[in-house]
Amino acid sequence: MKEFAYVRPATLGEVIAAMQADGARALAGGTDLVPQLREGRRQAGHIVDLKGIPAFTGISAASNGGLVIGASTSATRVARHPTIAADYPSVAQSARLIGSLQVQNRASLGGNICNAAPSADSVPALICHHATVRIAGPDGEREELLEAFIRGPGRTSLQPGELLLSIILPPPSPRSAAHYLRFTPRREMDIAIAGAAAWIRLDENRAIDDARIVLASVGPVPIRATSAEQALRGERPTPALFEAAGQRAAGDAQPISDTRSSADYRRSLVAVLTARALAACCANLIGEPTRS
Amino acid sequence: MPPMAPKESDTLKVVGKRLPRVDGPARVTGGAIYAADLKLPGMVHAMTLRSPHAHARIHGIDTSRALALKGVLAVVTAADFPELPIGASIPMGETGYDMWMVAQINIARHKAFWVGQPVAAVAAVDPHIAEAALALIAVDYEPLPAASDLAAAMAADAPVLHDHVITKGLEPRPRTPSNICSRTVIARGNAAQAITDAPANAEIEVKIDTAHQGYLEPQAMVAQVDANGFATVWTSTQGQFTTELMIARMLGLSQSQLKVVPLEVGGAFGGKIAIHGEAVAVRLAQKCGRPVKLVLTREEVLQGGSGPAAGAQIDIAVAADGTGRLTAIKGTYRVDAGGLPGLSPSLLMQASAALYQCPNLELAGFDVVTNKPRTEAYRAPGGIQGAFAVEQAMDALCQRLQMDPLEFRKRNASITGSTMPIGTPFPAIGLTTILDRVGAHACWTDPLPEGRHPRGRGLALGYWRGTSMTSAAHITIAGDGRPMVTMGAVDISGVRSTMAQVVAEEFGLSIDDVHVHTGDSKSVGYSDAAAGSRVARTSTAALVEASRDALEQLRTRAAEKLQYARDDLDYAEGCFRVRPQGTTISLAELMQATLAEGAIVGRGVSTKLPLGVEIGAHVCDVEVDTDTGLVTVLRYTAFQDVGLALNPTAVEGQIAGSVVQGLGWALMEGFDYGTDGRLRNASLLDYRLPTALDVPPIECVIVETPVPNVPYGVRGVGEVPIVPPAAAIANAIARAIGVRVTHMPMTPERVLRALRESRPHGT
Amino acid sequence: MKVLITCTVNGEEHSVLADPRDTLLDLLRERIGLTGTKEGCGNGNCGACTILVDGAPVTACLMLAQEAPHHDIITIEGISEHDKLHAIQRALIERGGTQCGFCTPGIVLSAKSLLDENPSPTPHEIRHAIAGNLCRCTGYDKIVEAIAVAAAEMRG
Repeated sequence: MKEFAYVRPATLGEVIAAMQADGARALAGGTDLVPQLREGRRQAGHIVDLKGIPAFTGISAASNGGLVIGASTSATRVARHPTIAADYPSVAQSARLIGSLQVQNRASLGGNICNAAPSADSVPALICHHATVRIAGPDGEREELLEAFIRGPGRTSLQPGELLLSIILPPPSPRSAAHYLRFTPRREMDIAIAGAAAWIRLDENRAIDDARIVLASVGPVPIRATSAEQALRGERPTPALFEAAGQRAAGDAQPISDTRSSADYRRSLVAVLTARALAACCANLIGEPTRS
Repeated sequence: MPPMAPKESDTLKVVGKRLPRVDGPARVTGGAIYAADLKLPGMVHAMTLRSPHAHARIHGIDTSRALALKGVLAVVTAADFPELPIGASIPMGETGYDMWMVAQINIARHKAFWVGQPVAAVAAVDPHIAEAALALIAVDYEPLPAASDLAAAMAADAPVLHDHVITKGLEPRPRTPSNICSRTVIARGNAAQAITDAPANAEIEVKIDTAHQGYLEPQAMVAQVDANGFATVWTSTQGQFTTELMIARMLGLSQSQLKVVPLEVGGAFGGKIAIHGEAVAVRLAQKCGRPVKLVLTREEVLQGGSGPAAGAQIDIAVAADGTGRLTAIKGTYRVDAGGLPGLSPSLLMQASAALYQCPNLELAGFDVVTNKPRTEAYRAPGGIQGAFAVEQAMDALCQRLQMDPLEFRKRNASITGSTMPIGTPFPAIGLTTILDRVGAHACWTDPLPEGRHPRGRGLALGYWRGTSMTSAAHITIAGDGRPMVTMGAVDISGVRSTMAQVVAEEFGLSIDDVHVHTGDSKSVGYSDAAAGSRVARTSTAALVEASRDALEQLRTRAAEKLQYARDDLDYAEGCFRVRPQGTTISLAELMQATLAEGAIVGRGVSTKLPLGVEIGAHVCDVEVDTDTGLVTVLRYTAFQDVGLALNPTAVEGQIAGSVVQGLGWALMEGFDYGTDGRLRNASLLDYRLPTALDVPPIECVIVETPVPNVPYGVRGVGEVPIVPPAAAIANAIARAIGVRVTHMPMTPERVLRALRESRPHGT
Repeated sequence: MKVLITCTVNGEEHSVLADPRDTLLDLLRERIGLTGTKEGCGNGNCGACTILVDGAPVTACLMLAQEAPHHDIITIEGISEHDKLHAIQRALIERGGTQCGFCTPGIVLSAKSLLDENPSPTPHEIRHAIAGNLCRCTGYDKIVEAIAVAAAEMRG
């Protein structure tokens, strides 16, 4: 491991300036970056610690009734925040899946997103909610849909010198619910072999007005299972419908085989997890008994 | 040593009680010292260069650039160690230990046989410089085709690892080298014929992935050579004497030129009997004149720096007559030894069949070398693999016979005097008692509760022979009259506490009056490594002898001091009393009065103590999610005969821990090697040890059939609990979903695949 | 090039020279000399190096030494007061919840964090609180039992 310089700026302006340095890397929770540096998977000439800056931490109401989450906010804080728990429970639930309790106390939501692992636990539910990200850089700030922000394994749209500032959630829709389910061989401390987040919104007649299905660990980026979504729109929620949607989602997935799983198994899981996540959304909304 | 009758349980005052561990406070405060905690003045850091190739010839190593790096103090390669001949060994128990193999585990010489095998090592003033130095060592490798698994290694055109290995046990003797090191046969009667003739039979073929002992503390050691050339090595080891012998042999030192100090061990389970770096650290210390610390990273531990537990492929056929009496067991066992020969499958084979009275046996075992790390011991080495095969076969046979699996075991159970697979009669065992206890227990009689997914209940038995070997100890008496115990055996299971109980019992004192520690290799009598479930039993025997020896010496002194004959004195609870006159002298008073008369040293040694074999029966309930293959263990009960529980809390702790290791290998632990021989899951993220949420509470039911003629009748405890779990779960899964899973670990993916392959297309 | 790091550990101030690449675990063990916190894997997957940072359990191997000055750090050495063991420590000894002891410091800190926040945890909640602390020796039962016993004692 090469030596690196460490700075902990006090203002956003100082951070942006520090990020211009050669080999600069942002440090929030460090739960991805620190092991990557030690194992030689990433290099850094300068480590820029973001945690001293209020702009990166804190959760506040957005002007449109949504929520702004500072990128350095820890998974634990996200999981426990009353507004997130009440209005975006799938986001709180996803935060509780990252690593272990020890990791959640440090790992940041922004870090989980920017590390851009296909298995990132926080991302599918955020995409379901049409989350946007606010990015700060030497040329100012910009916003982008989270779904577009993630470009490939370990890659986002961040240009050199840019940082993720915050994650913005739109106000929750009435008569909607989301749920994220992932599959791991152990009950804790595992990386998802496959994951499925589902979001549905019902109309006044309790038919599905809109749906989003986002799959983790079955493609280079989180995948919108669009053919599954199409199968759901306009239909009444039933277990048979959810199972059919699950089959479609399995077809939308692009899994690979690796040490954690074969592609076939991942496909099977997608079908099951999608159906179960949909059933969980339904249980939230209508209270009907569901398979889980 | 003359046999001693075990004391009656209800008269025991200290032995048998649930007393807290004497070393508890150090452990819960962070005060216990492990080798990586040591810091000596001037200490430098060592790091190991490891082969990136699974199979390669080593033509030369150029260390000059590494040596020239500022801060590097020494570099070693195989050239710094005498070359040991094939067959070199050190004494250990009855069989010795292969030093030609150990030397290569510690540093490769002419060839590298697995990814991660050490090739060179450096000592530098800090770890970053050591790491940079490794990159400057140039090794001239000639990569060779690798045999990455059993099938590849046994194929006719397999690349041969060792030119000198000709398969033993074949007639006529082959002429060409092979990766199949030996064929071992255990047979009686005519199993093939019995299987053909039998009204009921069952067969199974299983595959077991390599797994790791999973000790939480990586190997760690500090070596220092003083101005006279005397070396001291502090290390995490199961045996300080074995370590000393190995280092001495590897370096060509005489035993009087070094000593090994065993520090606290953060888990070992068989993986810390062989040295992994100690001789290298000494050689570096000799070269640079500074103390050298070598600590393995977790990745090194998993990626070739230690010896994992052997994978295997086992085929079993069993047969029974119409009344459910077993008539034959036929098996082929292929065991993966990793990159160096010398692994005998005999114990594995014996263990798998021992618990059954069966007239016809034909067990053939093969140990095969592959280009993977040399496998080493893991609790009951081979036991869990053999049980995964045989106990499933027995369970399948029960299903064919439509016979209750417990009834079947009772009908065929080995009893005291039954013939063991190798032909000798069983000493006193309590298998039928265990089976009776199972039948009467709620875990067997409670109906299986219903749930969302299919559920099943499984039974499996386990057997492990264990070993005795040698344990020595001595007891001195402090000025306040309290016994100070020096044990020869390393404490990896809590024995210092249970031995304090034994000595307290012998002296009629409280456990707080007895101080116990393990000596280094120069301060106590030779003792073999803590392994094979032998330490509590044999140390008990040694310490009973030492206690009685010390008490005899004290009696002589007391008699002299009080001016009475030895036989006129009674001893009880720390006090000698003249009968009937009543004068007393306490041990404290006696010691104070006789300080000038030299130390009291009570000595004891136990060698080849009659075996206390270990037997267990486990029952578990599982639920199988048939959409994902996820198996949840709902309930687990382990029945075990421990002879006599020296400390029930400690015994339960050993059993539960060993069971959970078995559950881990059963469901989630397995090495995933690529075809290039590189381990793909070399981290604790992807090598999955069970967390607290992955396992249910483990209920332990202790049965006590004492071993005759052995002090306190103690049996070994720690090994057999790992043997049944995989089979118990597999049997429970089979009852839940009607399908046998034959590849261990039985991951969700494998369970789902087994389920799907058993269904006709389209369903 | 070494860096000077001043930080507060267990209420005591330390000023030590460290390598800039040191993790907080390296700082504690190698530079300050508090070796009670153990290294089991070095990448946050075993929990053996669990400490409390600003009251929350974290794995010290995932933090940089250079972050230390900005946080309040408690290690296993700071749990018992003088010779008085914490209820969790006493219960672990009493109930057989410690064998080789390598996971024990991390377990104590995770358990303390749990009981400070949730004085009456269910067995499942206890298991969840220590799910990030691997133990290879005990099978977890006696650890869970000990934490429940300590909780009862702490409730009074």
